[in-house]
Amino acid sequence: MTEQKEKPSKLKEKKRFKAQIARFHDKYYKNLLLIPAIILLFFFIYMGIFYSNTGGFIYRDISLTGGTTITINEKIDTDKLKQDLSDKLEDINTRRISDLITREQIAVIIETKTDRETSKEILEDYLGYELIDGKNASFEFTGSALSEGFFKQLLIAVILAFIFMALVVFIIFRSFVPSAAIIISAFADIFMTLTFLNILGIQMSTAGIIALLMLIGYSVDTDILLTNRVLKRKEGSLNSRIYSAFSTGITMTLTSLLAVTAALLIVNSFSAILTKIFTVLLIGLGFDLLNTWITNVSILKWYAIKKRN
Amino acid sequence: MFQYLNGMQLKKEIKMKIKLNFTWKIWILIITLILSLISVFGVPPVALQKGVLITSVESNSKAFETGFREGMIITSVDDQPINNADEFSKLILNKFLQTGNESIPVVFDTTLTEIVYFSNKSPEITISDIPATNLKFGLDLVGGSRALVQAENKKLSSEEVKDLVDTTQNRLNEFGLTDLKVRQVSDLEGNQFMLVEIAGATPEDLESMIAQQGKFEAKIGDEIVFIGGKRDIASVCRNDATCAGIRNCEHTSSGDICKFEFTVYLSEEAAKRHAEITEKLDVNSSNPQYLEKPLDLYLDDNLVDTLLISEGLKGRVTTRVAVSGSAEGETREDAYKTTEEKMHKLQTLLITGSLPFKLEIVKLDTISPALGGEFLRVIIIAMLTAIGVVAVIVFGRYRKIKSSLALLLTSLSEVIIILGIATVIKWNLDLPSIAGILIVVGTGVDQQIIILDESRRGEFLSLKQRMKRAFTIIIGAYFTSVVAMLPLLWAGAGLLKGFAFTTIIGITTGVLITRPAFADIIRKIEE
Repeated sequence: MTEQKEKPSKLKEKKRFKAQIARFHDKYYKNLLLIPAIILLFFFIYMGIFYSNTGGFIYRDISLTGGTTITINEKIDTDKLKQDLSDKLEDINTRRISDLITREQIAVIIETKTDRETSKEILEDYLGYELIDGKNASFEFTGSALSEGFFKQLLIAVILAFIFMALVVFIIFRSFVPSAAIIISAFADIFMTLTFLNILGIQMSTAGIIALLMLIGYSVDTDILLTNRVLKRKEGSLNSRIYSAFSTGITMTLTSLLAVTAALLIVNSFSAILTKIFTVLLIGLGFDLLNTWITNVSILKWYAIKKRN
Repeated sequence: MFQYLNGMQLKKEIKMKIKLNFTWKIWILIITLILSLISVFGVPPVALQKGVLITSVESNSKAFETGFREGMIITSVDDQPINNADEFSKLILNKFLQTGNESIPVVFDTTLTEIVYFSNKSPEITISDIPATNLKFGLDLVGGSRALVQAENKKLSSEEVKDLVDTTQNRLNEFGLTDLKVRQVSDLEGNQFMLVEIAGATPEDLESMIAQQGKFEAKIGDEIVFIGGKRDIASVCRNDATCAGIRNCEHTSSGDICKFEFTVYLSEEAAKRHAEITEKLDVNSSNPQYLEKPLDLYLDDNLVDTLLISEGLKGRVTTRVAVSGSAEGETREDAYKTTEEKMHKLQTLLITGSLPFKLEIVKLDTISPALGGEFLRVIIIAMLTAIGVVAVIVFGRYRKIKSSLALLLTSLSEVIIILGIATVIKWNLDLPSIAGILIVVGTGVDQQIIILDESRRGEFLSLKQRMKRAFTIIIGAYFTSVVAMLPLLWAGAGLLKGFAFTTIIGITTGVLITRPAFADIIRKIEE
């Protein structure tokens, strides 16, 4: 009985709340653009300083600079090993792999810029037993020239992917401002993600770059949804169309975000490749929320209102 | 529309509705799904097959000679049926434990042939239980080795790499490696590489097997008499004790040293060259049995051996030449073994010929299979958890069991279809491919959310029109994703191809099969 009485009032309340939000948004949507703009500006400055200090736009791990990854299937103290060998193995990095359930260590991963043979000898000396390729140890070696080539090509791949994506967006919507809005927010996603990784000091790898490509796909999904609902539909007010896109889009992004977080917690440290992919996606999807629902929405709303008048 | 039904009634109702309302799009999904399940699990299911799988056979071993090959399934030993790897190991251990030095015959039944193995040692093979599916996993998951090879200081043309691939394939086969893939790959910058992939255990000496140029030259003074390869070598004596083998071993201060010798038959042309060159030589003044200059054998510009040429051969067209060399070891047994290996290597290089350029291994991965199983387990758990999370969110948002369930089942069927396609085209699922499957599931769920939302929006439109709207968004998103993946098919010498490939296959399956079927299922549920 009481429940039934409550329902209409709740609905009214919801409507009133929605109207309030709409009024607020109508008044301040242009100002909202300042949030991504300020972040972008701050990140541009950060990147400028970063570039002048390091001569690059990201920290690269050995998959992009060349070096050796050694996995030894033994219980070894990773911190001690890192400390003891830091002057012998160039840029040494260690990670332990544990069983998912018992948390017992099952292997150690060592990354270094030192080449395969030398690092094998140093490690055998240190550990006091032989490391046999493909039996108690895995070696993954990539020459520096090849890695340099990989890096260059992956950059080209990302740039090409971005250009292709932009072309497809222009072909779908055939109007400049809305297409540009999508492309700007996709760019902001990638740029903010990269800068944030630098701020956190996370190294980029080939897997990380793969994740950037994934991000292009994911971020553009919601932008296309938004633009389609706002521009190609006639029913309802502008605000209600934006709101409908928002409620669908936010479900999409949140599902991806939470699924990625759950997966990240499980694979964490077990697989370097998957951990890197999920980390980059997590950060990227976070920025995508900002860029789709503030950057893209505001530009699009501005455009739609101008066109109507 | 949806009353409170108990589980049984609900199931019944779903069944009834679906039974009555299958559209052709749903049928296509069901048929593809069944075909995929068949290709993944096999008919009859491979999991039900009894026996053990041979995962590797030691090269040049007795087991290899007898006919054991990788991939065979052993079903029984001496008529005793084998169910799993444990049983097999115990049985073999028992059989060869008591033999001592005496050889015994053991009959192995495989799915292909019957092998009679006669020895005092257990066969040099590694075995495992038969895998439960037909899925093939990449080296980064199940172990193996992979080398990316380029010429040193030289950009290779496509033809040169093609020749290189042929020679290498030939050579590695001669070395007794069977489960290997040698391919030509190129990257975005037009660099050509040779990619060698070997599944399972990593052979010792892999680097030299792949990258050794193997330039064999027999010279008198500065003049080349013959080189390795078909042009100069008609045939090489192997596995025949009368013309090839280890001739003697000696004890030295540092250990033992053995000497090998085998006969090489020269082509007419090379034999004539031999005659022309020796014709000009004088007899050795201090040792008149021989000519003044010896025949020097070089391998990759290192002197292997020096053979004195007997005086009788001067100016003679001879097609028979004895090639020899030696190797050392700490013990007699060691020396014998290394000498044998060295001889075999030299024979192989003489037959297959040398490579016209020096090679450099630019990437070499040798991955132990030890972590593979654990790895797959983690990935499967991660995937199931992610799907579980999606389920909770979707149900929380829509509060409709049927639609949410349809969404989850459709996503799951998408994974199965991708795996089905992978087994049909014999695609090796490596880590990048699995990352690709994850992105496909992610976009799949996203697009199904669009379909669900559109189906509930725009009351003045027919459901069909609403679905059409959903698909304009989905197709747009599809094309942006596909074009974003295309460059990756070529970047990085194709090592990340798996990711781009599975993603493209997956989202294409989505747009062509699962999404339309899902839209119809939702229509049926909503109507």
